[in-house]
Amino acid sequence: MSYVNVTGLARRFGGTTVFENVGFSLDKGEFVTLLGPSGCGKSTLLRCLAGLSRPDAGRIVVAGDDITDSVPQRRGIGMVFQNYALFPTMTVAANIGFGLRMQRLPADDIERKLATVIDLVELRGKESHYPHQLSGGQRQRVALARALVVEPRILLLDEPLSALDARIRANLREQIRDIQRRLDLTTLFVTHDQEEAMILSDRIFVMDKGKIVQADAAETVYTQPATEFVARFMGSCNLLDAAACTRLFGHGIDGHLAIRPESIELLAAAEAGADDLPATIRQHQLLGNVIRYQVESRGTVLLVDRLNRGRDDLLPRGSEVGLRIRREDMREVG
Amino acid sequence: MLNALTPAAAAAAGRPRRPFRHWRSALLLVPFCVLLALFCLAPLGWVVLHSVQGDDGPGFGHFREILASPFYRLAFINSLYISLWSSGCGLLIALIGAASLRRVPGRLRNAVVAFTNMTSNLAGVPLAFAFVIVIGTNGALTLLLRQWGWIDDFHLYSKGGLCLIYTYFQIPLGVLLLYPAFDALDDDWQQASALLGARLWQYWWHVALPVIAPAIFGTFILLFANAMGAYASAYALTTGNFNLITVRIASLVSGDIFLEPDLAAALSVLLTLLLVLVCTVNQMLLKRSYRAR
Amino acid sequence: MRADLYHRLVVAALVALLAVPVLATLAYSLAGNWGATILPDSFSVRWYLQLWHDPRFLSAFGHSLLISVATLLLSTLVIVPAVFVVFYRFPALDRTMNLLILLPFAVPPVVSSVGLLQLYADGPLPLVGTPWILIGCYFTIALPFMYRTLADSLRGMNLHDLMDAAHLLGASTPRAFLLVVAPNLRTGLMASLFLSFSFLLGEFVFANILVGTRYETLQVYLYSVRMTSGHFTSAIVMSYFVFTLVLTWFATRLGKQESQA
Ligand SMILES: Nc1ncnc2c1ncn2[C@@H]1O[C@H](COP(=O)(O)OP(=O)(O)O)[C@@H](O)[C@H]1O
Ligand SMILES: [Mg+2]
Repeated sequence: MSYVNVTGLARRFGGTTVFENVGFSLDKGEFVTLLGPSGCGKSTLLRCLAGLSRPDAGRIVVAGDDITDSVPQRRGIGMVFQNYALFPTMTVAANIGFGLRMQRLPADDIERKLATVIDLVELRGKESHYPHQLSGGQRQRVALARALVVEPRILLLDEPLSALDARIRANLREQIRDIQRRLDLTTLFVTHDQEEAMILSDRIFVMDKGKIVQADAAETVYTQPATEFVARFMGSCNLLDAAACTRLFGHGIDGHLAIRPESIELLAAAEAGADDLPATIRQHQLLGNVIRYQVESRGTVLLVDRLNRGRDDLLPRGSEVGLRIRREDMREVG
Repeated sequence: MLNALTPAAAAAAGRPRRPFRHWRSALLLVPFCVLLALFCLAPLGWVVLHSVQGDDGPGFGHFREILASPFYRLAFINSLYISLWSSGCGLLIALIGAASLRRVPGRLRNAVVAFTNMTSNLAGVPLAFAFVIVIGTNGALTLLLRQWGWIDDFHLYSKGGLCLIYTYFQIPLGVLLLYPAFDALDDDWQQASALLGARLWQYWWHVALPVIAPAIFGTFILLFANAMGAYASAYALTTGNFNLITVRIASLVSGDIFLEPDLAAALSVLLTLLLVLVCTVNQMLLKRSYRAR
Repeated sequence: MRADLYHRLVVAALVALLAVPVLATLAYSLAGNWGATILPDSFSVRWYLQLWHDPRFLSAFGHSLLISVATLLLSTLVIVPAVFVVFYRFPALDRTMNLLILLPFAVPPVVSSVGLLQLYADGPLPLVGTPWILIGCYFTIALPFMYRTLADSLRGMNLHDLMDAAHLLGASTPRAFLLVVAPNLRTGLMASLFLSFSFLLGEFVFANILVGTRYETLQVYLYSVRMTSGHFTSAIVMSYFVFTLVLTWFATRLGKQESQA
């Protein structure tokens, strides 16, 4: 039995259904990312778990207790909000200690726990600052510490990094992952950034229009997308329809064929065998360590990524090449 | 304050200081200054000067006379009593109302704000008459309550009646002043505090109140000052027979008998000093409270 | 959902509380006869007819309108250029101005009238008893509203950039002000004018102490007829209230336009 079990969850606002019949389970200590475009219902789902929004149907069970109808105060769920939601009239220490004071713990217990968590998020020396005196990254760490210090059973994070700039974001996500591992904390992390999701997660739940369309390990979601949506959403992908498939491979297909640009091998025309596709380079784009070619083969344009090994290695426009695609890198999606 | 200061400071730094360069523009300020001087500064100056003008040369005789007189002391006490009560009750009602006003749909909210704005115009003499109709000796509500046996008699023309009428005109002002302050409250705070185990009252007490406290206090001060300086309703209701500080001042300069403008000036100075003191304390408390964002 | 209901109930209670005196006055003004009973015996509009045929009322109302309009005209002519000059030429003065305009707010009218009554009773400026002194006093009442609103509008626009652009296109400073800056001030100005108008119509203290019946305004008239029929005074109060209602309605409409712009 998993640590968290969610079954048949639904939430409607007036006539519009945000999601319906959502079910999943989380193992103890697992870090799961809920990934999806903005507006697909991620926050609403998180708020239903936290008890801030009342689901219209479904059950939520954590460690054997059904918490579907509990008040937020009793759920043992910690949450980090996108805009931090720090209390502006309280210092860093008062913000972090708020939950402990609500539990009416003795003062020395509070002190001890505060000290531990402040070290954990590396905010030593900032205890008596007010939120408006902190940088975005520091505020986010206060919010994290405030959620952690009450030792929640589950930690929910709603796009905690999206308001920060790129460098701090990269640092902070390492820190979050590190702390989560050390505390063995069951975590559900919401993001719309697929890169963030892949770097952090044990598993990724990809959400599309209120449905979890795939729930798998990061590699699986990337290499074996379950649907066209997942394939498109997780980085760039060649999606071939039935007609293009017939032209290229001589047989049709139901739905689409997904091929990642980096899984196609570019060969010099001379090296190409009978199974390889003949093609012409149309254009290229420099993406840094990778060069992305647009290659035309039998009337279909494909994207092909290749490591950037310097000027001499660049294939000029109009070059004739061969494309080698292994069967296991092609994936039929719905 | 800070906003007002920054462009000014920047512009001042960017230009050479030549005070008479814009003398023609400065002429446009002359009528403004003249009007303000004639109708605001000069009378205030007169009041201050004459408050220390005794029968035989300058001195604090009038102040001594006022402080020694039970009659004038009672006027102050009555004014303070009514102002504190009406500001407190008005503020409390306005606070509860403004908090809920933020939680109703936008159209209803706008309509209620507009209505509140209109009722804030019902003050002074018309308000006194409206109250006579509702809760005067033969007022509809008085009769109703008397018929139900809830009250024996109600004296609108007393301290209690004045408290009631003052409270009424404080409510719309309080709502209009407080209602924008609630926009500073972020809904996420309530949810964050709930997840940290805080009940609703604990959220209000620990999180929300400290944020809006400066606004609440500032509103209280404004209401208090407004009530201390109010004259028309009390005068219209009791024809100047209730002993309030403003009624005393007015009767010393425009009554039928015993005109003593210098004594009125001294009373005015005491009243103004009291208001200035209250406003200064308010400013000091504001400075000491935290500064959000 | 329970919370929603609670908030609606509180708002409804607030509205009801504020509406009681208004509704009672309305009912009283429309009642034919309402002695010692809880509800009126009959309804009629005769009090309004009587009121609107009373020459004394009409003249008092006329006086009030005249003084208010004159005050607002004077205030506009004096305050608009002054605010512009402060922001354009002497921005450092804005702080001082903000303190100055607080004075009429902080000093109760009763206190100012003590000084005014003595200063202008006779001597070089014998204004007491004439409408002129009210225009001056009402200027100080309107000042804080108008200055604040205009200052906010000016702060919200890039005044110096606008003026520089107009100068580069060949406009003189007064022309640039009239053609470029003034149109941006119009809605804010109108809103503050309507607001001040309703304030001035309700002013009693200055009018009663400084002028009284020598140039009777609406409020002084209302006070002086307090001994006649309550129905009649109710009709006055209602007429006045409806008038200010229209004024504040205009002010909020304009205020809304301002915030949308
Ligand atoms: N309180 C609400 N009332 C009405 N609709 C809402 C409310 N909250 C969210 N929605 C709708 O639910 C959908 C999902 O929103 P949300 O969960 O915030 O998406 P995400 O977090 O994935 O961006 C959106 O279409 C939004 O308009
Ligand atoms: Mg969201």
